[in-house]
Amino acid sequence: MRLVVAGVNHRTAPVELREKLAYRADEIPAALIEAQARGAKEAILLSTCNRVELTAAAGDDFSNEMLLEALVASRGGVVLEDLRPHLYRLEDSAAIRHLFRVAASLDSMIVGEPQILGQLKQAYALARDHGSVGTVLEAVLTRAFSVAKRIRSETEIGRNAVSVSYAAVELAREIFGSLHKKRVLIVGAGKMSEGAARHLLNAGAEIFVTNRTPERALEMARLFHGEAMRYEVFPQRLAELDIVITSSAAPEHVLTRETVRRALEARKNQPIFLIDIAVPRNIDPTVETLEHAFLYDIDDLKRLADRNLESRRGIALEAESIVTEEVERLEAKLREREVGPVIVSLQEQLEAIRQDALGKHRTRLGNLTDEQEKALEALTRAIVNKIAHGPISEMRREAAEQGGEAPREAELASVVRRMFRLRER
Amino acid sequence: MSVLWLRTAAALYGCGLLYAMIYLFRKSTRLFHPALIAFGAGAIFHLVSIAELWAETGHLPLNNFYETSSVCAFLIALLFLIAYTRYQISVFSVCIFPLVFFMTMIGATEFPVAKWSPVARNTWLVIHISTVLIGYAALIFAAMASVYYLLQERQLKRKEVTPSANRLPPLGTLDTIISQSMNTGFVFVTIGTITGVVWAFIESGTGWIGNPKIAFFLFTWAVYLAMIFLRVSAGWRGRRIAWLAVTVLGCSLITWATHATLGSFWQR
Repeated sequence: MRLVVAGVNHRTAPVELREKLAYRADEIPAALIEAQARGAKEAILLSTCNRVELTAAAGDDFSNEMLLEALVASRGGVVLEDLRPHLYRLEDSAAIRHLFRVAASLDSMIVGEPQILGQLKQAYALARDHGSVGTVLEAVLTRAFSVAKRIRSETEIGRNAVSVSYAAVELAREIFGSLHKKRVLIVGAGKMSEGAARHLLNAGAEIFVTNRTPERALEMARLFHGEAMRYEVFPQRLAELDIVITSSAAPEHVLTRETVRRALEARKNQPIFLIDIAVPRNIDPTVETLEHAFLYDIDDLKRLADRNLESRRGIALEAESIVTEEVERLEAKLREREVGPVIVSLQEQLEAIRQDALGKHRTRLGNLTDEQEKALEALTRAIVNKIAHGPISEMRREAAEQGGEAPREAELASVVRRMFRLRER
Repeated sequence: MSVLWLRTAAALYGCGLLYAMIYLFRKSTRLFHPALIAFGAGAIFHLVSIAELWAETGHLPLNNFYETSSVCAFLIALLFLIAYTRYQISVFSVCIFPLVFFMTMIGATEFPVAKWSPVARNTWLVIHISTVLIGYAALIFAAMASVYYLLQERQLKRKEVTPSANRLPPLGTLDTIISQSMNTGFVFVTIGTITGVVWAFIESGTGWIGNPKIAFFLFTWAVYLAMIFLRVSAGWRGRRIAWLAVTVLGCSLITWATHATLGSFWQR
């Protein structure tokens, strides 16, 4: 079995491309079906603001190309050739390492931000419900989750890191100074915007919430002691607001350049801070050219986050060594899994031979005492175990050997299978 | 008699000026109505003064700069009052009240007064110079903060992030500093202008108006007034207010330079 990963992330592809490729949760099963149709035995798709990647476990004949095709098959607007320069493709141990780094937030735009683990868990649950998680992905992903936990508890990565939402709040302070009594509107729901709202509330801001679903807006408004605003009228009330955070799933721009221009005029050019963390984006990017409007999208927040990268580099290094250690451990386990079935078959085969021989010859020995019975049992068992010992320990040793050529244990396993005429399990 | 009515009108217009100054700091329109009544009363006295002069001379009093200034001020006041009764827009008062006051005050200096004691004359001059200098200091501060505002705005626009060690103050803080120092500067420069005009009037009688130094000083004040007005009413900030602040500062420096020879003027 091979493990392959292909996708784009915030480093390899611009937001314009990522938003085209992004999958909503309800679109993911279609992509998993595409992957399975092309020969993947197991598959999982992770789609966040910062990355879209497909991971598959498949036989040796499964090629990278098939994975790429599966990734874009259900995306009408994306041409594979346009995507190719922005793609990364990883296999086997590199793929495992990648998944561990993603889970531990080492590959995140803002290193150490905690949301990615939840997103990965969600992707895992989706794939499992769909039935595309088997033994390999199960082993790799559950291990990835515990590696993430281990890194979080053993290093300071979580403590020093800022989330995207906190980065947005820091930026708001650069613009407004004090955030006391500043009016903030949250458009749509989402972990990041809710996180930002919480930080802003703590800083003394007043929270307004709007949502296509009025009940959802009311519910969130209660959470932040804020006020729900009707979705249809919020662009008209823009002038009253100092900060707007959009993270709605709307496919079109909910704030146009003209709306923002008029709002600025109405508020006598007092600066307005627009944070668009939605992918695809909710605010017309040309708003950026308006004086006194400060528009930041998800990629811009990355640059802000990079400011603290220096201090975080040491911590990341520490985390990377944990990842390396864990990758080796999991690989050994997976290799053992390759020989494990052969060992079991061998033991069963020899046991069957022993039982068979005993059954045939037992009657000739006549009545035996209990002690003789036991001795006979021990004798036959010892012979079988002695015969099995050589091949089993050789296979185990090969599997446990790190950094060796990958297929050696598989080769050995198949030799043993042939020599002992073991049935394929 | 007409000059007395004119001086009364100027004093009543002064209430309007006072309101404009308070408004800059308090952003409260609570005092607007008393100020408007005073302003309206001022306009009536103004009308009486012009009518009397007209009756005396038999024609509209537009003989010299003082009279033109006075009539012009009256017309502006009248237009403002008409516009206000029709549209209820009070924001122009911040610009109109000081302007009408000054033009009327200039008109009121047509007739020289008797020479004052040297102590009184010097007091006027000291008040004039010190208030103007305080005003300039505040203006320099405002211009500096505007430049910082531009830099910080550019950083935020370009999405460049500076290391926290040499971070600029937040835009909001800079904006408050600009507003407060500009308003403070305006109040002091206005007081300085009034005392300056009064002093020049006492010192050289009706001849002061021909002095280019004073004319330029009045021009500077007018640009300053325009800047304050644009900021309060149209919300000018950032690039535009920075340029205006630098312009006013430039005018102030020229005024100051022309006054470098003030000593000789004073002794003349």
